Amino acid sequence: MKSKNKPIFGLLAVAAVWGIMSAAAMMKPSDEISESERRRLTQKPEFTAENVISGSFMSQFESYATDQFPMRDSFRRMKSVAVFGVFMEKENNGIYIADGHAAKIEYPLNESSVNSAVSKLSGIYEKYLSSTDAKIYLSIVPDKHYFLAGKHGYPRPNYEKMIDTVRGGMDFAQYIDITDSLSIDAYYKTDPHWRQEKILNAADKIAQSMGIGEYISGDYREITAKEDFYGAYYGQSALPLRSDSIKYLTNDVLENCTVYNAENNITCGIYDTEKLDSRDPYEFFLSGSSPLLVITNQNAPTDRKLTVFRDSFGSSLVPLLAEGYSQITLIDTRYISSAALGEYVDFTDSDDVLFIYSTLLLNNSSTLR
Amino acid sequence: MLFSSITFLYYFLPIMLAIYLIVPAILKLILNRFMPPAVSNSWSPAVQNGILLVFSLIFYGWGEPVYLILMVMSIALGYVFGLLIEKFRGGKRSKICLIISVALSLAMLGYFKYTDFFIENINSVTGLEIPLLRIALPIGISFYTFQIISYVADIYRGEAQAQRNIINFGAYVSMFPQLIAGPIVRYTDVAAQLKDRSITAEGLYCGACRFIVGLAKKVLISNRLGLLCSIFRESDEKSVVFYWLYAVAFTLHIYFDFSGYSDMAIGLGKILGFSFPENFNYPYISHSITEFWRRWHISLGSWFRDYVYIPLGGNRVSKLCHVRNILVVWLLTGLWHGAEWNFVCWGLMFAVLLLVEKKLLSGVLSKIPHAFSSVYVMFFVTLSFVIFNADGMAQAISDIGGMFGGGVPLISDETWYYLRSFGVLIAVSIFGCTPIVHKLAEKARKSERLGVIMSAAEPAVMIILLLAATAYLVDGSFNPFLYFRF
Repeated sequence: MKSKNKPIFGLLAVAAVWGIMSAAAMMKPSDEISESERRRLTQKPEFTAENVISGSFMSQFESYATDQFPMRDSFRRMKSVAVFGVFMEKENNGIYIADGHAAKIEYPLNESSVNSAVSKLSGIYEKYLSSTDAKIYLSIVPDKHYFLAGKHGYPRPNYEKMIDTVRGGMDFAQYIDITDSLSIDAYYKTDPHWRQEKILNAADKIAQSMGIGEYISGDYREITAKEDFYGAYYGQSALPLRSDSIKYLTNDVLENCTVYNAENNITCGIYDTEKLDSRDPYEFFLSGSSPLLVITNQNAPTDRKLTVFRDSFGSSLVPLLAEGYSQITLIDTRYISSAALGEYVDFTDSDDVLFIYSTLLLNNSSTLR
Repeated sequence: MLFSSITFLYYFLPIMLAIYLIVPAILKLILNRFMPPAVSNSWSPAVQNGILLVFSLIFYGWGEPVYLILMVMSIALGYVFGLLIEKFRGGKRSKICLIISVALSLAMLGYFKYTDFFIENINSVTGLEIPLLRIALPIGISFYTFQIISYVADIYRGEAQAQRNIINFGAYVSMFPQLIAGPIVRYTDVAAQLKDRSITAEGLYCGACRFIVGLAKKVLISNRLGLLCSIFRESDEKSVVFYWLYAVAFTLHIYFDFSGYSDMAIGLGKILGFSFPENFNYPYISHSITEFWRRWHISLGSWFRDYVYIPLGGNRVSKLCHVRNILVVWLLTGLWHGAEWNFVCWGLMFAVLLLVEKKLLSGVLSKIPHAFSSVYVMFFVTLSFVIFNADGMAQAISDIGGMFGGGVPLISDETWYYLRSFGVLIAVSIFGCTPIVHKLAEKARKSERLGVIMSAAEPAVMIILLLAATAYLVDGSFNPFLYFRF
């Protein structure tokens, strides 16, 4: 009796779990996006003879079945727990946890990417800036891995070589070293970006180097914009991490600044509260990724103008320089071709030009145009 | 379609199984009203074979719809020549039909698998620049071609009867559980089951358990080891220890991948009512290379033994011819795995090792302590898989050079990191290569006290493994397909 019962009990248990998961997978309505991974999910492909013969139906169905699987986030969490907790691996999908931070292993140094970034940025200088009187500055924002790798035994790219390559290739610019002004505490725990309220020293160093230090009051109100901020690495790590909070710095001058977004032809303020509930709340700073923004400060004690070539790290830094300029033009050449910039920006107008990019972008610069 | 995919696990397999189990049962109920149970029961396997054939063709066409034509052609040719060989059995025409059938099968395999290899070598010898054809290799062609060859050869020898029902024959050739990665199931292994098989609760449960174990081996262990191998390949900071870490990781990776796939195939076979031959039997506990090949990819080894080695005369020939036979078999075994010189070298390396064991070491290996013979076997097996996994001979030489200090430091920070990161996985994998877990489970099952716990714990463990493998697949983890070149 015992030997007969065993397979039937086992069979029923395994078949029930398998069957329920299968039925759930087949019946679950499709989701549009994955909030935690911040991406669109593959939808069910159209079943046509053409799609089947070409094989596109099958390949898309594979992505659809994986993307739309029921309780996807819980399964991703289970995998993350198994990778870290059972097999004691040091990373999952390139993300690791150290000092309470989720960080990405940015390794190895991608020399061709760094060289390509240098060549694109030098091209901008040659085309638009070499014949102007503008003073050119360069600063590099280290990513979180810069601070965590050595301490926790993760493979560390040769950051020094990266920085030297960029400095050497852009010798037309004065380099402002902000690495000493930062530590891992200057970054969100669940996101790659830095926290505006923790980068005052870095902003001050840049302002001093560009000769506008005297105009920056440093007198800000620190306001919490969002208590439960789950950054990009939260979703990627798929672990139950604690949320961050988004804080911002403001004063009367910053509140009276206007930001013109050339892409949407919209004028708004420096901080965009609507974005706090968007997929990426970090877009709160200067409304996120935009090819061309112009910050106008009518209360500036000077008529100096600044042009900043930047990535997303610039969004929270540049407001801290706003008191020192009557106008700041922010250009993100990931979203606008550098060849077409002349049509939209008058570079002869700028007194200062700052190139500020993160090591994350320099090591993965294929998006620069 | 891969077994280790959400599509297979939660769409294809449940739908297929539901139809496979329910349709014949309903048919039986209806037929029982009109005919005696003995007659109506005999319909079940025939209907199931039809369902199996249709689903096998969907399974095969899922990845490569175009190559379905090739599959259908192979089935048709095998079917017709099987009948002809049987019809003329004993006569000259039977032999001619056999030769044509085998030649056609090999020509097909040769065209798809070896044309570019052939052109490359002609070009390098003559200096010509004949353009490569870059033909995509139809998945599983090496496996089903060998199955068809064994089928016609067995009919010719009178060891099997030709299958008269083309649906049954088609189901045998295209049977999805073992279609793309073996084991190589011979017609004689399943001929009786094609006609009559029973599906029991025990078969379903044991099959499901075996499948889940194979899935866990593939997804939880092999894919992660494969990730380490690909990290090594892309690394610019290789060191001697990293080369060895890679060598060990790949040796474990290929075992868990291949034996995991065989477990899944055998498990699915059991679920469907078939009994497939075992393909792996803890090869890494071998004490000689001869023993290793009795435990590794058993269905391939026995295929070459029965259809190449023995027809050439085996060991009942002169010493020189015996050496020739061994060299031929291992040259072909190497080439079967891939159309590159490193596979030839891999095969010939085993030929030499086996000859040395037969002629010089016979008796020695059984007398030395087991630890030494294990180290000897694993040293050469690991080395062989480094050659096997290289992208051509130049990389094989460079990898082996690296293992013995060729121009790289002993260890680097990166190596330390990966040693720490994958240390537990490698330790678990090494443990999993031994029969310890299996033996402990068997012991517990037979024990009076633990038996009851086991009967509840086993399904629980299986469900956890299924959920864990699903979690890894849902996360879109690294899931390479090792068999594309076989």
